[in-house]
Amino acid sequence: MAEALLVYLRLAAAAVRADSGKPLILVLRTVAAGLIVAVEVMALVLLLDRFGTIAGWRAPEVALLFGLAFASQGLALALGTRLEADHLSLLVRRGTFDQVLTRPVSPLGWLVASYVDARYLGRLLAGVGAVVWAADRAGVTWTAGRVALVALSVVCAAAVVFAVLLIAAAFTFVSVQGSEAGSMLVYGGTYLASYPMQIYGSGLRLVFVWVVPVALAIYVPALVVLGRQGPPGLPAWLAWLTAPVCAAFLAVGGLAWRGGVRHYVGAGS
Amino acid sequence: MIEAVGLRKRFRTRRGPVEAVAGIDFRVQAGEFVGYAGPNGAGKSTTVKIMSGILLPSGGRVVVDGLVPYRERKRLARRIGVVFGQRSQLWWDLPLRESFELIGHLYRIPAADRAARLDRLAEVLALGPLLAVPVRSLSLGQRMRAELAAAVLPAPRVLFLDEPTIGLDVEAKAAVRDFLRELNRVEGTTVILTTHDLDDIALLCSRLMIIDHGRLIYDGTIDDLHTAYGSTRMLVVDLADPAATLVPGPDWAGAEVVRAEGHRRWIRFAREEISAAQLVGLILADQQVLDLSIVEPDVEDVVRRIYRGEIPPERIG
Repeated sequence: MAEALLVYLRLAAAAVRADSGKPLILVLRTVAAGLIVAVEVMALVLLLDRFGTIAGWRAPEVALLFGLAFASQGLALALGTRLEADHLSLLVRRGTFDQVLTRPVSPLGWLVASYVDARYLGRLLAGVGAVVWAADRAGVTWTAGRVALVALSVVCAAAVVFAVLLIAAAFTFVSVQGSEAGSMLVYGGTYLASYPMQIYGSGLRLVFVWVVPVALAIYVPALVVLGRQGPPGLPAWLAWLTAPVCAAFLAVGGLAWRGGVRHYVGAGS
Repeated sequence: MIEAVGLRKRFRTRRGPVEAVAGIDFRVQAGEFVGYAGPNGAGKSTTVKIMSGILLPSGGRVVVDGLVPYRERKRLARRIGVVFGQRSQLWWDLPLRESFELIGHLYRIPAADRAARLDRLAEVLALGPLLAVPVRSLSLGQRMRAELAAAVLPAPRVLFLDEPTIGLDVEAKAAVRDFLRELNRVEGTTVILTTHDLDDIALLCSRLMIIDHGRLIYDGTIDDLHTAYGSTRMLVVDLADPAATLVPGPDWAGAEVVRAEGHRRWIRFAREEISAAQLVGLILADQQVLDLSIVEPDVEDVVRRIYRGEIPPERIG
């Protein structure tokens, strides 16, 4: 197990070394990725300063949701951006994935380790920065429990996004072309989860809590951190379910991935 | 070493299902060097991908070194090497040496063994000066030598090669072929060589399998191929007397003079009818000969005729 992990770390290190021929570009990309987050959060705050609140949430409180969403999306994409339809279908069409399958490694481990994308780490860091800033403005006093809850939220939401990437990847294997539905959920889903759940209808809420549990990973822990009560049917104590439900969703993603690899057709004969 | 029984693979395409491999059977012994030929889209690569665990067959079964490829893919991966001529398995942006180090770790080769084996491979394949060069800067010939070294570094028991000489110049092709011949001879590695270049097969393989429309249409030695499909050899003689005429007698067994130019005569004969020695004897008894040579039949020519359907695909062997 430890030996296997070491192999993936070596692969990741090789990927970083391969990229390090252009350190300046790498730094600029990371900074740019962080700046995008800062601009989005700033736009939100400016907007809310003018129009007041969203469903009773003040600007810094919504900014906290934004930060959590960006951080988790950044973490998931740093590891899994190669699973996105356009990247993966290219790897399939070029035959790169064929070659991965001839290696004595897990193909998922290979893809994650070989293509760690530093730009998305910029998004993760900026997202965490936004959370810290927003919590300060919202008057949150940091306790060990709250810090743990923020970490749990980022990791669980990242797991949900990663699972969506895995399910989308399974479709890419079957169709080779890949579909944009997965990207829609990865970006659209986390975007929708950046707002208080009260603004959505009960159907959409149900989906985000129990089907693709991004709200359970972002909104519910944020309720606890901010000391707010959720709307009816979405109480703060649901935070206890965040980890198990997200883990289950990740397991579903893992199964979909395995099924996809099994039915992998490859490019051409 | 490899056994395939009723192996099938069906792909779904927009124009309906396509049977890329339509039920093939074969058995390859350890240490064999098998050429696997067929026109584009015949099912060559599909078969190789099934044997290397990349694709799941739609029917039949295959066992490679005692393992079912798609079920025990990772275990099998440690025992096989795969080279796809048009793709690289090396780390493009890193110095070549790092690719070998990473492969050493992937296949859990002890560092000392890896270093010793790499030294030997680098010497045989003339890779020494290239180890510090990033893979992307290698020429195609250099890269292919590096790909081969990478594939055999873990000392695989079976080596699958898909078009390893494609696009290489004469010298680079010769280097690749020499290496493969030695590998097969010295280490007893079983080699399955998929290629369009029938010279590769003629020079390297003890056995040839030809696939077309997903079916094995020939499986046997190259000599048998000529016998089965009636290919002919050519005797080229230089006669002392340029004006002499060679008259085929009844002993010539169908051999005929097909061309005459100055001193030189070209005589075509079928190997199963008369041996080269007999024919030369007949000519020497009649004429003074300055020089002679025998041109072996072109495998490419025979195979091309099979592909075109000029020769009925009758399986033998």
